[in-house]
Amino acid sequence: MLKADVEVDRRDFTVRASIEVAQGERLALFGPSGAGKTTVLETIAGLVDPKTGVVELAGRTLTRTSRPRVAVPPWQRGVGLLRQDPGLFPHLSVRDNLAYARPAGSRGGELTSLADALGIGELLSAMPARLSGGQQHRAALARLLLARCDALLLDEPYAGLDAAARRTLTALVVRLVTERGVPAVLVAHELADAQAFASRMAVIDRGGVLQIGDPDQIVLRPVSTRVAELVGYLGFAEVGELAAGIHPDRVLAGAVPDRGPVLTGTVAASRPAGAGWETDIQLPDSVVTCRLADRPGPPGSPITVTALDPPLFGRDGSAVDTMAAGLRREV
Amino acid sequence: MSWAASPAAAGTARGAEDPPGQPGRADGGPAFPRRIRSVSGAASIVGAGLIWIVLLGPVITLLTHLSWHAITSSLSYPGALDPLIVSLESGGVTLAVLFLFCTPLAYKLARGSLPFPRIWEAGVLCALLLPPLVIGLLLVFMVGPYTPFGDLIGHFNLSATNTFLALVIAEVYESAPYYVVGAQAAFGSVSPRLEQQAELLGDRPRRVFRRVTLPLSAPGLAMALSVAWARAMGAFGAVIIIAYHPYGLPLQIFTTLQETGLASALPYALVLLVVALPLPLAAYVWSARAQGRRRG
Repeated sequence: MLKADVEVDRRDFTVRASIEVAQGERLALFGPSGAGKTTVLETIAGLVDPKTGVVELAGRTLTRTSRPRVAVPPWQRGVGLLRQDPGLFPHLSVRDNLAYARPAGSRGGELTSLADALGIGELLSAMPARLSGGQQHRAALARLLLARCDALLLDEPYAGLDAAARRTLTALVVRLVTERGVPAVLVAHELADAQAFASRMAVIDRGGVLQIGDPDQIVLRPVSTRVAELVGYLGFAEVGELAAGIHPDRVLAGAVPDRGPVLTGTVAASRPAGAGWETDIQLPDSVVTCRLADRPGPPGSPITVTALDPPLFGRDGSAVDTMAAGLRREV
Repeated sequence: MSWAASPAAAGTARGAEDPPGQPGRADGGPAFPRRIRSVSGAASIVGAGLIWIVLLGPVITLLTHLSWHAITSSLSYPGALDPLIVSLESGGVTLAVLFLFCTPLAYKLARGSLPFPRIWEAGVLCALLLPPLVIGLLLVFMVGPYTPFGDLIGHFNLSATNTFLALVIAEVYESAPYYVVGAQAAFGSVSPRLEQQAELLGDRPRRVFRRVTLPLSAPGLAMALSVAWARAMGAFGAVIIIAYHPYGLPLQIFTTLQETGLASALPYALVLLVVALPLPLAAYVWSARAQGRRRG
């Protein structure tokens, strides 16, 4: 179990985060760049001192700012950190990098079998500079796992890699974390990365945790308009007194009143996006963006779409329970 | 045709990464010498060659003006090689002092971990810019007889004028700034993230320094040390004022020049070059090889 309840001063704002990650659980910290996600990780790793707070890992107290004070140095924390730059030591071979934390175990079967499992078994005698980006990340991951850390922190580790490498590496990390039962925290500013990794997700903005929950629930039921914007809602439509969040992927062409509110407006602009068409729709009070399978008419032509069971927000920007509001079928 | 996605299509995304055993090429391909495409290109090469020859001119001149007879006759009388011994010993002590005392300063400068880092750097720069002759003059007032420091070491029957100690002090002052600046650059080239990573893998800072920082900065440190060595070997300005005796090689050249003329001073110039150059050259070759090893 990893527990962190900390406040860290940054130049422009204070980061306040309270998270708990069980053994084998994978938490994603999702938010825009500069939201303070990395600061949370660095506080857990002991690289940044919090103003106030507590960090506990596997029954040990790593940081406590109240008396009796505790500040375990990074080298005694047993926390593994993987960043975008894999940080292999360039003067050591891959084998020596893997065995860095336990030089005596360099001939052990564990090193070889893990390297084989990660697909770098034949690169052990190579120097890190000869490895591709994906291979370097595998080696860095193997090094963390061989160091037997009690928690795995991943700071946008795959930001520089192509989509295919991200997918295979994410699957690999998920499998290894589950097998070893360590708590893992991933920092991501891409929603897809966070969703692919996480069993639970926390949305962070300007140093504060806005929402924690199941990744799909956060996307379908954001607690505020700000969270909605962060997870990809592009525009809000007025529905009675409330605002419905419109996610571009959750819109059907035509009027299907059973599935959600029907929106009528005119095409403002459209452009190809993936296999469909991203279309800006001018509604009476606002503009919303949605992805449609078929090409819409030219700008100015009328268009009718249905928003699939959208989240509803009150005037203060916080979510309204759609069931309680009794609007689900009416609108 | 069925609407269900075929399993083969879903499987193509996997394994798209580099297959193991075929690491990406570190270099961009075969390097052809750049072709000379224009008159200005040719002129710049000729100009560069000229400057290179002009810079090497003194060395070439030295080699053309030396005769075997002159070398043997001036270096054969008893005690002729004493200045060499003195220079080597004082240079060695100087390097040891620099490495022990200036390395921590250079590291802290590189990491910016000192308060008011600009002021510290300005101080090093100031020492670097002081003319050696001025250093010598000021050293007399700082460590000479009748100064607090002179009194202090006088209790131990030591003196910092015209002694081996004075020679070492003068050489340290002439070479230390060069070492600090070079070592700072060497440490600066090691990413602090790598040191963090080593700490998180369980190493105390001292062990991190030994296992990561030092090996990675070693080529740069060796270059800085060898530059300091060359400065110490050739130290003259401060030395002539505060440590006229015992003669090191530069003073030997100077006095020989004054007493017996150019021809008999030249062999000592050769000796000075021969002792001052190998260390820098070895450091250069070694650091180039270390870089090559890292590229694998």
